[in-house]
Amino acid sequence: MRTLTFFLVCLAVAAAVFVLARLVGNDYVFFAGYVVLQYIVLATAWNILGGYTGYVNFGSAAFFALGAYASVFLHKAFPVVTTYFLDEPYALPIPALIVIGAIISGFVGLGMGYLTLRLRGAFFAIATLALAVVLQTLITNWSYVGGARGAYVIRPNEIEPIGPYIHYLFLLMLALVVIALTVARSIERSRLGLGFAAIRDDELAAEASGVPTLKLKLIATTISGALMGMAGAPFPYYIGYLQPSSAFALDYAVNSIAMPMIGGTTSWVGPLIGAVLLGTLQQVATVTISSSVNLLIVGLLIVDCVIIAPTGILGLLQGRRTARDVVADQAVFALLFVINVIPIYFLHQEALSARPLEIIFWAVLIFLALARGRMIGLPWLVALPIVGAALSVVPGPSWLWLVSALTLVICLACGLLLRPREAIVRSGTP
Amino acid sequence: MTAPIEVDTPLLEVDNVSKRFDGFVALDGITLSVAAGERLGLIGPNGSGKSTLVNCICGTLANEMGTVRFEGATMNGLTAHERTRRGLARSFQLPRPFTSMSVAENLRVPLLYTVNARSGPHLSAAAIDERAAELLSLVGLADKAKQLPRDLTQVEMRKLELARALAADPKLLIADESMAGLSNTEVADIVALLIRLNERGITIILIEHIMRAVMSFSQRLVVLVSGKKIADGAPDEVIRDPEVERAYLGQ
Repeated sequence: MRTLTFFLVCLAVAAAVFVLARLVGNDYVFFAGYVVLQYIVLATAWNILGGYTGYVNFGSAAFFALGAYASVFLHKAFPVVTTYFLDEPYALPIPALIVIGAIISGFVGLGMGYLTLRLRGAFFAIATLALAVVLQTLITNWSYVGGARGAYVIRPNEIEPIGPYIHYLFLLMLALVVIALTVARSIERSRLGLGFAAIRDDELAAEASGVPTLKLKLIATTISGALMGMAGAPFPYYIGYLQPSSAFALDYAVNSIAMPMIGGTTSWVGPLIGAVLLGTLQQVATVTISSSVNLLIVGLLIVDCVIIAPTGILGLLQGRRTARDVVADQAVFALLFVINVIPIYFLHQEALSARPLEIIFWAVLIFLALARGRMIGLPWLVALPIVGAALSVVPGPSWLWLVSALTLVICLACGLLLRPREAIVRSGTP
Repeated sequence: MTAPIEVDTPLLEVDNVSKRFDGFVALDGITLSVAAGERLGLIGPNGSGKSTLVNCICGTLANEMGTVRFEGATMNGLTAHERTRRGLARSFQLPRPFTSMSVAENLRVPLLYTVNARSGPHLSAAAIDERAAELLSLVGLADKAKQLPRDLTQVEMRKLELARALAADPKLLIADESMAGLSNTEVADIVALLIRLNERGITIILIEHIMRAVMSFSQRLVVLVSGKKIADGAPDEVIRDPEVERAYLGQ
């Protein structure tokens, strides 16, 4: 019953998101939003196996691509010949393709699980990576679905009664998000979720407590694979031209691991937070700075998250780790500080429109200075990066940037060289 | 609790079981039978094969030769969780709690996956919570129910290990060194607890180095040395057996 309530709340939120997106009145919102939603589904799906059960899957892209290529195959195998060439070449509606994609990926997940789940830890991770490579090779050499040169899937411009086709795709992906989150949450609170957690914590003890570990792991890979396949099924219609390198892109594998890790892996909220944050950031970065700095930003943000919040943002919010722990070691403080200065430097050389992205890293610097400043008894230390941020983000003469850099150097030096107050008292220096 | 089956049918029969790790013979043709309702002590020097025997009985390891029978039915080929569901529970030598779960949740795992997986009436959610609370007060962890295992002391961790094994509502409990590192009074507490459980109908195999505990607990004593059973009988006689003395003094 509670699951039903959750499902309805999710539906209401999804409806609100759709209405809001319509109100913005710009199709770009739909194109960017679709990708973020797709990542929510992928991250949630990954987390069911990786987060709940503790088996790291590097092959997310394979399941995603299977869903996508199943759609391409069906699109080619069952075209309906009608007088309207562009409007009605689709025999199967996308919801049907999603179901088929889910079934195929679910079966492959089951098969992969059956073959590999007797392996533990790193071996399992490598096996999933191998699966992705094998599948990519097969698809690349299968000319019916386009092979290496790729396949065109022409989507209609409009669909009744929704309007632009991208709105329809966006709506479908919203529905998938609702399904994925409901599945994840209901697993988490069920007997199944308890069994998954037992496997993650200690497989031997789980087995001794009567948990059928192999069966549960197979259930996890199947559900996880099916959800990923669902996310992939509408993809050819979104992208219009599907080739193996875009369906099997490393982004899917990396993001579906990074997003739950950043958000927190023990709850359905974690992947959601991670996917929304990282997904949105990636979309914003792609638009504002169309260069490889994009990757640098995302990469460094992941480094930040791993050091500051190893149990995810959820863990940080639940107070499992305090600011004091993060900066207790001056070397860690200095490393983190420098890591966050690097993207600011690169972003500063980009277009002015990239300046807002700097704020994220300035915020981390301010957080670090605040925590370290309190620890060494210099609360004013936090003022330095704040001044630096103000000088840097606000457009002005270029020498202001030098002043800003100077404040950072002072802040770093103070944080690195001054010891915590207790140590000073003990050594007797004023 | 489970009703004791016919007195003369052995609950557990280990018949000529052997286990080898590469060239090393860990178990060499062990034959052993445990009657329902019995309290058996299993001792032996380090590396004598006690834990390997437990692992073979519980299905964590597969034995190469021989048969393990439980209530007359062979268990060869059954996985560990199937054996647990048949009524065979163990506690681990080094506590292996589910670290992300609270103490009470640790007990919910066997309650949901063993007790409720058996045929017959299932426990409701409320009954499960009640049973978990009951077991925790039995081992003396009632006030720690909401804590995480990492906040427990070593002693409490061992008690949790025991409670989790009991939560599976076993006919046979194998307690693998539940008392290492405990003080005298704590050892006495656990021995008393095990005897109380035995009186409720649970057959218990105790594997222990603390001789005082073994002697006060066991009705029968089995001694393993280098993977072989060298003695099996009343504790007082076994302990005076020259071969046993040699094995212990010789190490």
